[in-house]
Amino acid sequence: MIYSFLPKLNLLILSQLILVSISYAQGNEKKGTWVGSLESNSQYYFEDKSRMVVPPDQPFRSNTYLSIQYNLRSWTAGLQLESYLPNAILNMNPQYKGVGLGTAYINYKAKKADYTLGYFYDQFGSGLIFRAWEDRSLGINNAILGARIRYNPTPFLHLTTLGGRQRSGFTLSKGMLAGLNAELEVFPLIHKSNGSLTIGFSYFGRYESTYIADPNFKLLTNSFSERINYTKNNFFASVELVQKSNDAVINNLVSINNDFIKPGSAFLANMGYSKNGKGLNLVWRRLENMNFMSEREPTIYGFEQSGLNYNDKILNYVPAINKQHTYSLSNIYVFQAQKLVSIDPFANIGKAGEIGGMIDFFYDIKKGTKVGGKHGTKIELAMSSYYNLAGSYTLYPPDYSTSWITTGQEYFSDYSLEITKKFNSSLNGNLEFVKQSFNNRLITGAARVKIETSIISTRWWIKTGTKSSTKISFEHMWASSDRKNWVEGMIEYNFNGHFSAYASDMYNYGYDPDGDLIDHITDPFDIHFYSFGGTYKKGTFRATLNVGRQRGGLVCTGGICRYVPPSTGVGLSVIKVF
Amino acid sequence: MKPLKILSIILLCSCFAYGQQDMPSCKLLGLDGETYEVMGDFSVPDRLYVISFWATWCAPCIVELEELNDVYEEWIKQVDFTLIAVSVDDARTEMRVNSFVKGKGWPFIILKDTNQELKRRLGINDVPHVLIVKNKKIIYAHTGYTAGDEIELLETLKKYKS
Repeated sequence: MIYSFLPKLNLLILSQLILVSISYAQGNEKKGTWVGSLESNSQYYFEDKSRMVVPPDQPFRSNTYLSIQYNLRSWTAGLQLESYLPNAILNMNPQYKGVGLGTAYINYKAKKADYTLGYFYDQFGSGLIFRAWEDRSLGINNAILGARIRYNPTPFLHLTTLGGRQRSGFTLSKGMLAGLNAELEVFPLIHKSNGSLTIGFSYFGRYESTYIADPNFKLLTNSFSERINYTKNNFFASVELVQKSNDAVINNLVSINNDFIKPGSAFLANMGYSKNGKGLNLVWRRLENMNFMSEREPTIYGFEQSGLNYNDKILNYVPAINKQHTYSLSNIYVFQAQKLVSIDPFANIGKAGEIGGMIDFFYDIKKGTKVGGKHGTKIELAMSSYYNLAGSYTLYPPDYSTSWITTGQEYFSDYSLEITKKFNSSLNGNLEFVKQSFNNRLITGAARVKIETSIISTRWWIKTGTKSSTKISFEHMWASSDRKNWVEGMIEYNFNGHFSAYASDMYNYGYDPDGDLIDHITDPFDIHFYSFGGTYKKGTFRATLNVGRQRGGLVCTGGICRYVPPSTGVGLSVIKVF
Repeated sequence: MKPLKILSIILLCSCFAYGQQDMPSCKLLGLDGETYEVMGDFSVPDRLYVISFWATWCAPCIVELEELNDVYEEWIKQVDFTLIAVSVDDARTEMRVNSFVKGKGWPFIILKDTNQELKRRLGINDVPHVLIVKNKKIIYAHTGYTAGDEIELLETLKKYKS
């Protein structure tokens, strides 16, 4: 790879010179266009004596991203500079250090083909075997450095081939990667115009040498995905089958064992029916040993702490499939998809994946009816349950065999009903009821706590003037164990469309030091998590300043999570798209 | 080396004096399973296109689109425009989009940017993010939503109508 032979700074300057020279060399020809964005998220951590929270050695920390693209006719070149100075905000992937070039690429679009050299993002199918993407709040940027060609020999056949190595912080992981994706739209081929039928196939492979003298696994790990999607009128359905070849399994989050070699698989089915005013959607998914990374073993940072905790070097996207709630308390006991293998006789756990599904129902009670009122009423019902794979699990020797259909113990369930109603041009309301069950022992392997919750949440938007408005929310959660009950209130006032201020408090009460707790150490008392701040926004500029307490726990985006330690401090976030 | 770094960044930023923003080209899936090209398939000369980036998990996005849904018929009488709502839901929630949209009864054109390719090409960090595009040029953009933002949107549409 070119990258490994060039010092970081030289590549930075080289890529900028490419951009600049494309821009200036065009002389009087049609000028190209620039797109860019700047995002900076900073935190200053305070000491909070009552919580016994001590700030880190460097209490000021900041993550900043400058992203620039230049487009000229069929050419696009871009780069992203990243700065984690004086250090990255707490508990980000430790690979993010200092300042450097995050990504850079050059792309050429021809009539039937698209060529990219440098870093690129992509996804095959639903991402179960490969997804490269960026999520700054989670510290994920697993772009691939290499080459990619997309080719459409006909308008209904889409081919992609790619190869390279994956980004890990400002370095590259060791695995050599190659992939192929094909999508065929069948109906145009057979001159059928009503509906759509697409067949997809993907291959993704990782080659990595090993320190193990006589490995029981092949150095090349292969994965395949076969898909079919069908849509006709109001009906749609899709099925995806995934296979991953035999590979060494990571146990206990840190290392592989040459005597524990297993294949992986996944099955994902989705179908739905929707017509104006109503929609039904069903999802069923089974995962078995679907952890797939660009290196077999994660970087180790301490006892049972590894790159896996920071989503480092992940190749595929395996999110939890359940409703992504918009209220705070519904996101305290949050489920992560169970793609890892864990056999721990001390905690009485044997698991190799998950099986379960989700049902969604959406209904619009029409305007002008008695219940619908003048503006209509929207109802959303979502139900999901996920279980361990039933089977037999042994630690000596490490092995398991699972059933394809039968469910084991339940990991998590989430049932919710959400009602949204506009009362008049000045008043909008939302009300949600949620019931969750969270089996902490089986999900995390730690404390033997199972939590049942009932949550009621409501949010109101009130227009107080042409451009001024107020947003108020109130939530309460009853929990059967752990830290027990929570209540939250929030008020936000928007002064003129540009400036808004908010204050919120999340209060946890009913803490019992002798109760069934997930964590006996952090904040061992009833506690207020207060927060207040303001936002200024104009066009594509936004700046937010806030002061408050951060609850220790998982922060999740798109079903992928990052652990955030308990902290108290002030935060500043600035975003500009230009 | 530090001055070199700063110099190179300044050199780069100086290029921003040039050009104006074109809408990039990108292929996205529609609710009907067909592939659409932005903006190739939405390029009627002088027509105004409102492009709203949203997600099923983004509360302010939904409030904004519900608000636009409520005033859509009234606005269309004043300004002829097309509203394209681009969902950035990824594989976690993408499967809910069809039923979600129909359940809301939104009459807009819905496209799916499942791996955020168009969002990335536009340099968009967060949703909601709204653009007005005319003749493939971005003539207005705003990020975030607070009640009343739609008034500025309507004023801008009226200003640029042919």
